[in-house]
Amino acid sequence: MMLEKTKDIARQILEEKKAGGVFGLMKNEWNIIQPHLFEDPAELANLVLEPKWLLAKLAMRILRSSPENYKLAVICRGCDERALIELIKRNQIEKENLLTVGIACSQEQAAICLCERPYPEKLDAGEKVSGVDPFQDERVQKFLTGNDKERMERWADMLKRCIKCYGCRNACPICICDPCKLEDDVWVQRGVVPTETVTFHLIRAFHLSDTCVACGACQEACPVNIPLLYLQLSMRKTLREKYGYEAGIDPETRSPVLSSVFEKPDTDREYPAWINSLGEKDES
Amino acid sequence: MANISVFLCKCFGEIDNTVDFDFLRKELSKNPSIVLISTVDSLCLETDIEKTVSRIKESNSEKVLIAACSILSRGNLVVESLIKEGIERHKIGLVDIREGCAWIHGDDPAGVTKKAKDLINIGIAALQHKELSDDMSVTVHPNALIIGAGPAGLAAAISLAKTRFKVNILERSKAPGGMLRLISRCYPGNEDASNKLEPYIREVENNPLITFYPQSKIASIEGDTGNFTVHFSSQEKDSSIKSGVIIIATGAKIFFPTGLYGYGEIKNVITQMEFERQILNGSLETKKPVFIQCVGARDKKRPYCSTICCPISLKNASRIAEDVPGASVFILHRGIMTPGNTLEKYYRDTLASGVQFIRFEEEHPPRIIGSDHVESVEVYDAITGITRKIETDLVVLSTPLVPNNDNAQLAKMMDIEVDRYGFFSEIYPMHPLETKTDGIFICGSARWPVSSDNSILQGKAAAMKAVSYLRQSKITASTLSRVPGLKAGHARVVTESCTGCGNCVAACPFNACHLEKMEGRYISVVNMMKCKACGSCVSVCPNGSVQIPEHNYRMVGEMIKMAF
Amino acid sequence: MNQPRILIFACKWCGFIGADAAGKKRTSLPSQFRIIPVECASLVETDAILRALAGGIDGIAVLGCHIGGCRYNNANHTAIKRLELLQDLLDTTGIGRSRLLLSFGTAHEDYQFEEIIKNFFDELILLPPLDPWLSPFGVIS
Repeated sequence: MMLEKTKDIARQILEEKKAGGVFGLMKNEWNIIQPHLFEDPAELANLVLEPKWLLAKLAMRILRSSPENYKLAVICRGCDERALIELIKRNQIEKENLLTVGIACSQEQAAICLCERPYPEKLDAGEKVSGVDPFQDERVQKFLTGNDKERMERWADMLKRCIKCYGCRNACPICICDPCKLEDDVWVQRGVVPTETVTFHLIRAFHLSDTCVACGACQEACPVNIPLLYLQLSMRKTLREKYGYEAGIDPETRSPVLSSVFEKPDTDREYPAWINSLGEKDES
Repeated sequence: MANISVFLCKCFGEIDNTVDFDFLRKELSKNPSIVLISTVDSLCLETDIEKTVSRIKESNSEKVLIAACSILSRGNLVVESLIKEGIERHKIGLVDIREGCAWIHGDDPAGVTKKAKDLINIGIAALQHKELSDDMSVTVHPNALIIGAGPAGLAAAISLAKTRFKVNILERSKAPGGMLRLISRCYPGNEDASNKLEPYIREVENNPLITFYPQSKIASIEGDTGNFTVHFSSQEKDSSIKSGVIIIATGAKIFFPTGLYGYGEIKNVITQMEFERQILNGSLETKKPVFIQCVGARDKKRPYCSTICCPISLKNASRIAEDVPGASVFILHRGIMTPGNTLEKYYRDTLASGVQFIRFEEEHPPRIIGSDHVESVEVYDAITGITRKIETDLVVLSTPLVPNNDNAQLAKMMDIEVDRYGFFSEIYPMHPLETKTDGIFICGSARWPVSSDNSILQGKAAAMKAVSYLRQSKITASTLSRVPGLKAGHARVVTESCTGCGNCVAACPFNACHLEKMEGRYISVVNMMKCKACGSCVSVCPNGSVQIPEHNYRMVGEMIKMAF
Repeated sequence: MNQPRILIFACKWCGFIGADAAGKKRTSLPSQFRIIPVECASLVETDAILRALAGGIDGIAVLGCHIGGCRYNNANHTAIKRLELLQDLLDTTGIGRSRLLLSFGTAHEDYQFEEIIKNFFDELILLPPLDPWLSPFGVIS
């Protein structure tokens, strides 16, 4: 149902030439699923929506290597859409060149991802399911409760597993820096394992504090199963509760961490005409 | 790694009594980049400075580290005297081992010596990695632009013209004078407003250095300190002026309290400014006026005190009390604000002239009785607790000055800020009349409601501040510091690694960063004339592409490694 | 137990002046703290704080001007928001927010600086050691 609708929308986009291509997942002739840029409507028969595969970074690369006015439509889930919006905010994608085809995630997927918003803001196909509160999850509570000492040991044990494959960084749809601070000896010593966990993981986590869209790509990419997403949860909560900010919702709103106090002056007042031309004594 | 020579100052025993210099020398000699370790009695002595300079020149060192007192004591003087001897500023490092070490832990000699060693190592790390910022300079256009021809703007223009600088005045209306043209007399001297204004207008009309542009409207402002370009239209003709400084004297507006005390519905309920107009027209006829203070001010929406309304009421009330035989004048107030000796006397004189004062509270405002024509005012006297009914033929509402509607728009053009009410705001309380952008000043009621005398005073003060910019033929970015001494540097962007994410643009408190499109991607560009080297951009840059060379990340990293 | 080590990033308009005044007064404070003067608290990179914690420094203090009193047009307000967020991350991982002392507008004077540093030493001594977190390389000796 959702798949058919998505295919229809994609076909329409290609036929009406709203975009040069539709970017999504394809099952190829060997039954392997891979990201694919659909430029021919006939190919759309092979379009699939599962599994969850973040396409934002690849979409950015496609747009970068294409001519300036090339338009791209991306079939995206909630997290993917938020990542695309963050990339727009960071001037990596021109807003005009991007179309999104929003698809909803299933309840099971939301539970796996601990997703608070398992749907895109612009939903085109599928039914919205309610989000999951990650703080209610046992796995999360294991890492976020207890006293400092317990948590420190738990996290230290977990992060000690790190083999410094940089998978978390590479998988992250918003990590776009080149060179990256994690490749600099000043912050993280290179060429040695075990990693300096405090610097490597906490620098990485903090750099994404106000941009993390909670897609969980870092965690999924981790070969030693470090729950990297849990590092972000309390910071995301603070941003939401204190400043009402959530990354990836609105391309115009910048992170509150970048701004200082600012109050808008109110100017909605009305004045009689004669005061607008001060000094016109004879006018009444 | 550069060769460094280290000079340890004994400060005549103040330092070497607690710090073990022999240990220090031994430890420091392990560092291969230190080519000379020398001990001096006191770098405050000229002879020791001479000795130091000759030793530096003899040795093959490229940089000098001085371990002496704090930069806030005499350290700065030591550095200055070395600079005088021809050593460049960025090649001198100063480490404080007196205040921050020998004195603060005087009872722990072992700890002090270790700390001195660490501090010197931190200093060496800093010196090795310190870089020098770029600099730029701008040729100053030796003329000033003044926006607004009220008392503040006119006073500023005339002061600047006296110092032989060309002045252009842009004015919204047809003639100069601002709010002074609307009123009859000025407090506290009860001088005739037109008399007060007349010499200013004559000067503006006759002085060849002053050009007046009536009915002008600003379209846009671009450029930086010393070199602003203002595009505007005057009498429907477009033109543009280049200008070294801008003085904002746009004044404020009068608040019309529609809906309060029946204003707009009941005849004979007027504002203070309409009262002034009636005096000027000669149409004023009143024997029993009641003045109500703080109308639309000092409340939830406008919590500020407009400062000028109390003296204005005193002025007008005493005028009626003195001029009209048998007049009974009331002022209903929430506390009369008359700071300073002149205004306090003004208040006492008004009391003596027979004006009656009744204090009311915000919760119990006076009530106007009468449907289309006011008959009386009922007020709860906060001091006696009695509700009084006052017969009246005119109710005058004292309303505050409020900011002009287009302040925010104008502020945006010039990269300055408005406060929460919409008045132009100063940079920091210690820099009166100065704004976020160097070379733009604010004065008069554009800044805050003030009397005409104060406007004139502020206009003159702003002019003198402007002169300090205009008299330079060139302005160098590194000297644009509001505090004595040089700026710490300027932010520098590494173009190759900048991702163009715009974090620095959002975080810069001075709008010094902006994005430019280059080869299909965005990169951040720093405007050195605006950068104040606070480092807001540095700490939000995700990959260290923007740095203050004098405090770069490599240096900080090394300093931390050397800290203990 | 050894005296904890403290690294202080002091804004040169506030904390640094307070520290200097404390020195002029010849106070006796524990010697295990080092000051890195910065132009403004907003110059303090969060990465540098993490770098220092990883290097075996027990506590970091950031001393800046009071909110509204920044020389750089409220740059310190931006800094405090960011550093408070870092405290959350430190809390999550069990390092604890109390290892990052944020003090804005409270260290202008000698006695204020003294009190802040003394209290910080007292607080740090009670915290569990950071050993599990220490970097296997480049530990500051």
